[in-house]
Amino acid sequence: MTQAPDITIRWNGRDIPARDGESVAAALWRAGITTIARSRKLHRRLGYSGAYLTGVLARVDGRPNVRLDLTPARAGLEVEMQNTWPSPRFDLLKLAQLLPAKAVYGGFEHGAMMPASGLGYRVAERIMANLAGVARPADADLNPQEIPGRGAEVDCLVVGGGPAGIAEANARVQGGQSAALVTRGNELARFARSMGVAVPALDPRVQLFAGTELFGCYRGGAIMVGAPHDHRAGAVAFWPKSAVLATGRRSMPPLVKGNQLPGVLDAHAALELVDTHGVLPGARIAVIGTGAETALAARLKALGANVVYTGKAAHLKEIRGRKRVIGILAEQNIACDALVHAGPWRTDPSLAFQVSAEGHYQVLAEPLPQTVTLAGIAAEGSEPIPAAKHLHHDTLICPCMDVTAGELYCHVDAGETDPEVLKRLTSCGMGTCQGFPCWESMLAVLAARVDGLPDEFARPTHRPPRRAITVAQAAGLVAIVEPDT
Amino acid sequence: MNAPLPKRASVVIIGGGVQGLSCAFNLAELGQRNILVLDVGYWQGGASGRNGTLIRPGFASVAWTELFKLTVAEWGTWSKRLGENIMFTQRGYSVVAEKEKSAAMLEEGLRVQRSLGVNSRMLTRAEINDLLPAINKSRVHAVQHQPDGGVAPHHAVMKGLLAFCKRNGVDVRYRTKVTGLERTGDRISAVMVGDHRIDADCVLACAGPNNPDIAALAGVELNGFGMRIEAMALEPTRPLIKPAIALIDSLAYFHQTSRGEIMGGTEVPERPRMSLKADVPVMASMAKIYLEMFPQLGEVRILRHWAGQLHASSDFAPLMGEHPELQDFWFSAGWSYGFAGAPAAGKLLAQAIKTGQIDHRLKPFALNRFETTGPIIEAGIVMA
Repeated sequence: MTQAPDITIRWNGRDIPARDGESVAAALWRAGITTIARSRKLHRRLGYSGAYLTGVLARVDGRPNVRLDLTPARAGLEVEMQNTWPSPRFDLLKLAQLLPAKAVYGGFEHGAMMPASGLGYRVAERIMANLAGVARPADADLNPQEIPGRGAEVDCLVVGGGPAGIAEANARVQGGQSAALVTRGNELARFARSMGVAVPALDPRVQLFAGTELFGCYRGGAIMVGAPHDHRAGAVAFWPKSAVLATGRRSMPPLVKGNQLPGVLDAHAALELVDTHGVLPGARIAVIGTGAETALAARLKALGANVVYTGKAAHLKEIRGRKRVIGILAEQNIACDALVHAGPWRTDPSLAFQVSAEGHYQVLAEPLPQTVTLAGIAAEGSEPIPAAKHLHHDTLICPCMDVTAGELYCHVDAGETDPEVLKRLTSCGMGTCQGFPCWESMLAVLAARVDGLPDEFARPTHRPPRRAITVAQAAGLVAIVEPDT
Repeated sequence: MNAPLPKRASVVIIGGGVQGLSCAFNLAELGQRNILVLDVGYWQGGASGRNGTLIRPGFASVAWTELFKLTVAEWGTWSKRLGENIMFTQRGYSVVAEKEKSAAMLEEGLRVQRSLGVNSRMLTRAEINDLLPAINKSRVHAVQHQPDGGVAPHHAVMKGLLAFCKRNGVDVRYRTKVTGLERTGDRISAVMVGDHRIDADCVLACAGPNNPDIAALAGVELNGFGMRIEAMALEPTRPLIKPAIALIDSLAYFHQTSRGEIMGGTEVPERPRMSLKADVPVMASMAKIYLEMFPQLGEVRILRHWAGQLHASSDFAPLMGEHPELQDFWFSAGWSYGFAGAPAAGKLLAQAIKTGQIDHRLKPFALNRFETTGPIIEAGIVMA
């Protein structure tokens, strides 16, 4: 476990020791680098959190917006922070941190801060486009080529490489069907194994697509498409006779002030750091949850972590810190430098939504077709997110677009309670996550504010492919999927 | 928000998209009172929130170019008149021909545009390098550039329109479905929402893909068919592409939004269906076009992909005016460039409804043109 770093990678022009093949996010954390990205408007510090992808996006070897948690470290890899000007090491955009959150409500692309027309607008637009764009375009000399995709017909497609997905895939091939299993992670059932749960081996007859994110269900589930995170490998279109969504659940970030601070991690990310990479999330760790916190804390302790607090997610009132977490306020003040959350757990609704939502307004009312089933913990449903009616206005709901509870309250208190409209007024959930977890948080905040229930509101529409495929990978599908004629 | 619906209105507008709200705004400016807007969906839920937001004055036919020259002039006045920044930006609109034949068509269109006073020109190679540095020049045969064209983000436009309507007493109701239309003799007289009757002096349908159904509620027919169009947005980057772009040979159009996303769409031949679900072939085709025309986009990730519906007329030109068989029943329908055209449509239709004067720029788009003057031939649109 304490294997020494054997290579160096470059972070903002500096050498950082790393282990060959570990994730770049883990290597940076080990080196004490917890701020990896900056939010778009207020330049808040963001890091590896598990919940928010935007905290691990950086420029890698001239490619913008690469996920560092899925990128293996290689000797000489050039990794650079984005959203800085003029350079990551001398970044004047940090001054944006001095702005009050209110200054950017609906700001930037919404025109509130800009002259209304003429040359003044064009100049302002150019500046805003540079700020809002966050990342420089890809280097011109990369010369990307179309990456041929492939098609696969299969009796059963299993999405998710946890214990439930493995069991489902095994059962199908043992029953004589052909089965494929797609999993975003590079290895199977990493979280379950790290928690000490026994995991069955995958039957070798199951075709395994690891490191691949299945992002789209098309034509009512007749076609499902995924793409590998490795930008050099082609996308895959499946024609499954049936599909099993065993995508598990993810812990939702707490709805309190400071929830975006580096040092706040979900259970999956924290265990990956500790168990897979041998990096402790902090010297003093607080663990909260909706029941799983005790088991998670015990596991973290067994792996060598110093857990100073274990408590209920609903008791958390504030996360303190400027550069990273320095403490939390729960039933009492706790000094800690990392907060790990294990619940409330929610199922990512995107794939099921894509299969079933139909009609002019795509309101999710239809049940799933018989060919598509949920399995494992994803089938157990989602837990409610505790949200107070009066959250601190700076509580971040959507870190990509810097949407705070205060900004949502501005609209909700003025009578606007349609989630589709709130999405359009604030851009909440329109960044890297494309709605998960940010719309879960938005719906919880909205419901608490108007004394309703989150399920009473129609969800905004979940749309593929939510950044799981590059243009070059998608171009390689032209010859694979024919138009529906 | 949940105040009871009124029992009568001077003008009932069916559809609260950019067409309906543009008409409401222009009518209100002309002093019309008691305007009621009804929309079955949510704000920006239809094509007004799903389109490419591209705006240009110049086409290949006189009728289109006159209408869209007016629309560009109107766009320039909206921020001031609405009292909200709608972020209309005249960053230019480039129509790219990849084949010689289409290049000739662009030259032809240029003559029409110039004769009508539209600022438009064919770019030299040096100008192409300057304006579109990232484009794959080997694929470009000719570029017609319209400096007065540009884009306006639909969220800002719709926000401005709705805010104006609310400030000026226009009653706008979303998630409210019109279930019936009543006629008295040869004129329309009332709108039904469930069993609630709203007496109306005039009804204007701006209902996008639902226009034929609205016409049917009053027992009349409307030319055209429903069409599904898809678009997608790439993950934001800092500016790479300055003007709005249409590729007339690849049937694609796109621009980089002011928040850095490259947003656009294309068409693939497929069976017509009224669905809002996106499908793989458009994503793949659009990606291939991006990769070939702007190779630097190859490494960019695709953020989201969606579909929208519109009601296209059989010549793809808008259907604007009073229905020939039913008095006081007006349409702004058949739009495929409806977002761009909304300011002109709103102005001309409001004028026609309020004063009875039919502007010469409105006349060619009359609903009965297929039986009278014939279809409008327009080669400069990116539709098939």
